[in-house]
Formats: sequence, structure tokens, C-alpha cells
Amino acid sequence: MAQVQTTTLSTVKRSPLNFLYKHGTLLAILVVIAYFSITLDRFLTYENFSDILRSISIVTLVAIGITFSLIVDGFDLSVGSTVSLATIASAASLVLYRQEILVTLLVPLLLGIAVGLLNSLLIVKLKLPDLLATLATMYAINGVHLTYTKGFSIYNDMPLPDGGTAPGKFIPSFLFIGQGEVGGIPFSVLLMLFIVAASHFFLTYTKPGRLFYMTGENREAARLSGIPVNRYRTYAYVISGFFAALGGIVLASRIGTGQVSAGASFLMDGVAAAYIGFSVFGAGKPNVIGTLFGSILIGVLLNGLTMMNVPYYAQDIIKGAILVGALALSHLQKK
Amino acid sequence: MNNIYKSFDRVTVLNGVNFHVKKGEVHALLGMNGAGKSTLMKILAGDLQPNEGTITIDGTDVNFPNPAAAKKAGIGLVVQEVDTALFPFLTVYENIVADDLVHAARHPFLSWKKQKQRAAQVLQQIGLSLPLDKRIHECTLHEKQLIVLAKVLFSSARYIILDEPTAALSEVETKRLFSIMKQLKNQGVSFIYISHKLKEVKEICDQVTILRDGSVVHQGDAAQLSIEEMIYHMVGRTQQRKERERRTYGEDILFEVKQLQIPKTNTMIDLQIRKGEIVGIAGLVGAGKTELAESLFAHTKTTGEWLIHGKRHTFSSPKEAIAAGMCFIPEERRKQGLFMSETTRTNLTVRLLSSLAKWQWISRKQEKERAQQLIDTLHIQPSSQQAIVKQLSGGNQQKIVIGKWLQTGGEVFIFDEPTKGIDVSAKAEVFAIIRSLAEQRKAVLYLTNEFQELLDIADTIYVMVDGQLVQRFTAEEATYEQLIYYSSGGGEENGTSTNNNAFNRKAISS
Repeated sequence: MAQVQTTTLSTVKRSPLNFLYKHGTLLAILVVIAYFSITLDRFLTYENFSDILRSISIVTLVAIGITFSLIVDGFDLSVGSTVSLATIASAASLVLYRQEILVTLLVPLLLGIAVGLLNSLLIVKLKLPDLLATLATMYAINGVHLTYTKGFSIYNDMPLPDGGTAPGKFIPSFLFIGQGEVGGIPFSVLLMLFIVAASHFFLTYTKPGRLFYMTGENREAARLSGIPVNRYRTYAYVISGFFAALGGIVLASRIGTGQVSAGASFLMDGVAAAYIGFSVFGAGKPNVIGTLFGSILIGVLLNGLTMMNVPYYAQDIIKGAILVGALALSHLQKK
Repeated sequence: MNNIYKSFDRVTVLNGVNFHVKKGEVHALLGMNGAGKSTLMKILAGDLQPNEGTITIDGTDVNFPNPAAAKKAGIGLVVQEVDTALFPFLTVYENIVADDLVHAARHPFLSWKKQKQRAAQVLQQIGLSLPLDKRIHECTLHEKQLIVLAKVLFSSARYIILDEPTAALSEVETKRLFSIMKQLKNQGVSFIYISHKLKEVKEICDQVTILRDGSVVHQGDAAQLSIEEMIYHMVGRTQQRKERERRTYGEDILFEVKQLQIPKTNTMIDLQIRKGEIVGIAGLVGAGKTELAESLFAHTKTTGEWLIHGKRHTFSSPKEAIAAGMCFIPEERRKQGLFMSETTRTNLTVRLLSSLAKWQWISRKQEKERAQQLIDTLHIQPSSQQAIVKQLSGGNQQKIVIGKWLQTGGEVFIFDEPTKGIDVSAKAEVFAIIRSLAEQRKAVLYLTNEFQELLDIADTIYVMVDGQLVQRFTAEEATYEQLIYYSSGGGEENGTSTNNNAFNRKAISS
């Protein structure tokens, strides 16, 4: 019996479809880079690559949050709105309230955690379906940040309703997060790499990391094994909110203003990155390293398309197609 | 039904069965698990086709290529799981007329008023007064069952198959169902009644047909057959009692539970297990065994008082029960016991992570060592720690479910149907594990509907009926027939049986 199973296993391993599944993402990244390098002369430059990496860093942060919610078999649609909320919150702290770096970082992060707690209240305590609950919070949070700003962006020296100009400005220490470099490498990329590594080690090698996965894999078996599943599900949504807020901070710092609804596009990019990550190295489940590769693929693709003058709305078609492909691939593998 | 033969692959399930139901009678179809009852009824309902044989209704030969044809000929089926036959968010009358809607092509414009009237008529016929607009998911189980019955009557069924209709009903509800059946009987409707509750069979049925191993072994008047005789025909032989070593167990009570509530049946259970004792709970499907096990482990919301080594606990979650030393091997191992796409190692060490982790960091080396120890002692095949559990056989999966508790230092083991779906050799290994747990002076509770297993392994056997422990035996005095007798409701009537005095020798300790 056992021998029969091992032989079937090894034949599966050798099949071309399985190879594609395991290494398809890496292959796709290489193919895309090769194609753009040949067709676009400005693509393969240091400036462009550092630009790609900067934009990837935000997507990856958001996508890691989504990965956590996927690991516990949940879903968080509210991350895009949380990015917007955090962007506005940090910009408002700086420009409207003249706060220093500490408060500027703390306020959006606490807001992100609050969104996570709200989501887990709805999903874990009130047992609402995760997709619908976070769809609702996504809209509500979007409304909150638009109401607060009355629909206007926040920028240096902006005029105030009472006639004066805003007292504060984007301080250099805050701008360093999104624009600064350490040894020629953008700080936001270093931040991203640090968080990817930390999350990866946490999820793979620690006890709580293991329990996150088990909660998602089989909630009832996990509960019967004494795992406090509701606590872990709550943690996952809080972590998701936290990383989305961190992404929002990096975004505000990178563009140097508080744009309303700036985070909306990160939902789709993040979800696509996390699902592409399922298949990287044949993991078959949400994982942080895969998520990083997923967002690299999307980042490279979007950058190249922009340089080819493909309008942003047409890029959405391609994003949608990639997500469908990633979903189909992970679904096929499950069968 | 005449000379019905049916085989799957080379396994013959029905071996020339003759089964006759007269107009206006309640006919019981009895047999142990695997006797062929379900197959026979599936053939009658058009779900399966016989290899040989004929079905005759009112003198004309019929054949049912599909369930719709059987329905049209007047065969109605009230399944055991009534929820599968109803649409929970539609109203009562919409459910009753649902079958008609399927054939709406014949008359595309339905008059709701007319439908409602007809549905009301059927409900009246079975004496059920329910608002027609009530939604199904607001109805009780008993009401749902009667609605399925009404639905079957609505499609003018004259032969109605009732599969374990009283398994989930209270006594009052059962009485009510019986009076409805009697009424319909007088109107010329016939029933085929499948049940394990033999006492009820005697009460309601006119005729009895007993199947064993695919053949009819008895056919006759229900009134002239005692419950003991029914059991005799169903079992066929006096079960050989295997000579087994007399085990000894401690005097001290290790585990005790007082006034434990079982929510589904709303009954209270008291139970004691001594050091090294294997206590068996015998009960038919639906007797409340799984509910008892899940209450004991606080998986379902419940109240009660747990005593482990005399120390009092109250549990509100499995986590607390585990912390106090309880271990649970659930009935549905894929759904409740395993992380199917994880490796053997990950599954085995889930309860050991706290001792393997330092500052939350899991020591790979130690984890591998512990997993290997468990794989070796349990003979898990393949012995690779990296094997994905999904690809293992049922027996090996079950060993993993048990294995994850073995090194946790737990002292109370609850096994719910641990041999379900595993082969004979794996079963022997599971038994060996359970015996060695008892040797280590742990307390073991073993719940099953395979009574022979209890006779083989348990020291003390309780019989469970409708969420209550109705009888207690020691291993020496219990027999297979007695376990069936009591679990099928035989113990509820007193004095009718000659054996009863002997059965009642030992009163329930609680």
C-alpha cells in the first residue's frame, strides 16, 4: 500500500503540469523581465528597478496582512480602505496637528489595529461571513476617511477653512521612510525585506505560527486539539489591519501628501499577490515568501505596462486575469 | 418484490429476497447493519436497479429506472435525515408542493391559492396544524418529518418507506407519529418501517420481515414475535464469546462526571471510571453517544461537574478539558481529528508544541525525535514523518489521531467509534493501544455501536438509549443479545421477558 502511494507520488512530481505549478511564478517573472528588457530600453536601469522595488514594498506589506487572514481561512477586503485611512491619518497628524514622528506613526498603526479588532468582532464574535463583514467595513472606513477630509487631500501649506494655512508639514524623518535610502537601497525595501523575513520565520518556526496554520486548516480539529481558534483568528485580522496601516504610512511618505482613496488599488494587488504566492515552490497554502514573489510579479508587470503606455484602467484587466489564473492554479492543485 | 438479487462488483448484497406488503399494513423491515435493508429500499425507490427480480404493484409488473418513476408509481420515501429532503428557507406549503413545481412544464402557470389549499388538505389529513407560511428552518425536527410525510402524501404515495423515523423523536412525538400512521393505514396507505427500536416495531407493525446477509430469514406476524426472537433472527447465531483474559483495574475512581447535561436530548448523565478501567458505552446510531462524548470534552455548550483524581472542574471549552488531562479521539477523524494536508509529524506534535518550543521557537530536532518515537510505537505506515496525512490509509490516520495524545500526559481517554472505517489489522492495533493505556492506569471511555467490540475490550458496559444510560453490565455478565435487547428499547417494558430478571440483576450505579 505504502509503496504504491510513493510511486504515484513520484510520477506526479515529474509531470510537467506539476513543474509549472511549482516554478511557474518564478518562470513568469523571468519571462516578463526578459520581455520588457528587450522591448523597452529604459526598463533595465537602476532607477527603474529601485522604482519597481519601492512600489512593491507597499503592495507586499498589504499582501502579508492578507496572507495572515488567508492562513486562518478568513479574508480581509478592508485592507485597501485601511491603507487610505492610515495615509490620511499620518498626513493629518503632520500637517494639521504639527506632530512629531512618534505620534505620526502611532496614530495610523493604532487605527489599523482598531479596524482589525472591528473585523474580528464581526467575524469571530458575531459570526458574520468574512467576505461580507469586511466588505461592509471596507465601505464604512472609506466613508470615514472621506468624511474626515471632506474629500480633499492633505498637503504642505494647504489652505484651511478659517483662512490661514496649515501649521505643519511633512517632516524629513517621516519622508525618509518612503524616499530615503540606506547604502543605495531604498529604506522601504529594507523595511519590506525585514518584515517578510520576520513573518516567514514567525510562521514557519514558532509555535504560534504553526497554530495559525492549523486554525485555518481545520478549525474544528484545531479546537478539539485545544487551540484557542477564536483568539488566533482575531490576531490574524489585527495583524492584517496593522500591516495595511504600515503600508499606508509608507505610501504617504513616498508621495509626500495625504491623497484620499489612495489605497483602493492595493486591495486587488495584495489579493492577487497572496494567491499567486500559494503556488510558489509548490507550497499549496498561503505563505509569506510566495506572497513576496507574487507582488514582485505584479509590480514588474505593472511597471512595464505603464512604460508601454498601457492606461491604468486597461491594466486592471490584466490584474483580473492574473488573479483568475492564480486562483485556477491553486484550485487545480487541490484536486 | 420478488426474487430480488443485487450485487456490487462481486459482493452479493441481496440474495433472492421476496418482500410483500399488503394494502393498509405497517410492515417492519429488520436486520443488522449490512443485512441489505438499505439496498432493498433503494431498489424499491428507484435509486438502484436489481440484477434480477421483479417489482409488482397491484398485480402489474413495474420497473423503476429512476427515483421519479418510483414516485409516480406511488412509492414514497421519508429519509432519516429529513433536512436533506426540505428547502429550509421556503415555507411549509412551498415545500409540500415542491415536487409539483418541478413538473411545472405541464402547467406553467400555477395558482398559489390552489396549491395552498391542496397543501392544507394534506396537512389536515395527517392532523398537523401549522401555519402554511412558516419557514422550514423555524420548524422542529418532528414537524419537519411530518412535512416530509405530507410531501410524500401530496404526490399521492400509497407505499411509504419510513427510515428510522423515531431515531430523533421524543416519546410524545413518537406516539403522535404512530397515531398518524394508524389513521393513514385506515385510509389504505401502506408503510415499510425500518427501525432498530424493536419495542416500537412490536407496537406499530403488523408484519415483520427480517433480513440477514442478504436473505429473508423470517417473515411473519409482528404480534407473535417477541423481541428476543427478533434479535435471534437478526443476529442468526449465538455470538461466540471469545475467551478473554480477565483484566483487573484499580479501585480508586480516576474520572467522574456528575449531572453532565447532553443538550440535544436534554438529559443528565453520571459516570465513573476507575484507574485502568475501560468503560464501554453501547448505543445505536442516534442514541446520543457522540453528544455525550462532545459534552464530556466541553466541545458543545453544556453544564456539569467533572472530577479528575477527586479534583473538581467545570469546563467551558476543549482547551480547559485538555489542560485537566482529558484526551478525545472524535468519531469523524477527517473532519474533527486531523489536519489533512499537513504532514504526519505536524499532526502528531500538535499537542506537544509547548514542551518543544523555547521562547515560542520550535526545536526541529526535538520535534523530529518525538514524532519518530510515536511513529515507531504506533507502527504508522509509511513511517516517513513527511508523509501527507491525506494520503494515508484510514487505520494509519486513526493511529495518528490517537498518537497526538499519547505523550501529553493525559489521563482520561475518550474514544468515539475509533474503529469506524478501518481494516481488521488496524483495529487490532487500536485495541492494543487502548489496552496498553489501561495498563498504564489511565481511564478509558469507549463509545460504539459495534457491540462485539465492547465485549472484546471493555471492563464495564453501559447501554445508552435516547441520551440516557439505561443499563450497566460487567464484562463477564454481558452478552451480545442483551446489549441489543436493551439498546433497542427492550428494557423499557418490565416483566414481559423471561430473561428480564437476569438482565436487571445489576442496577445502574448512579
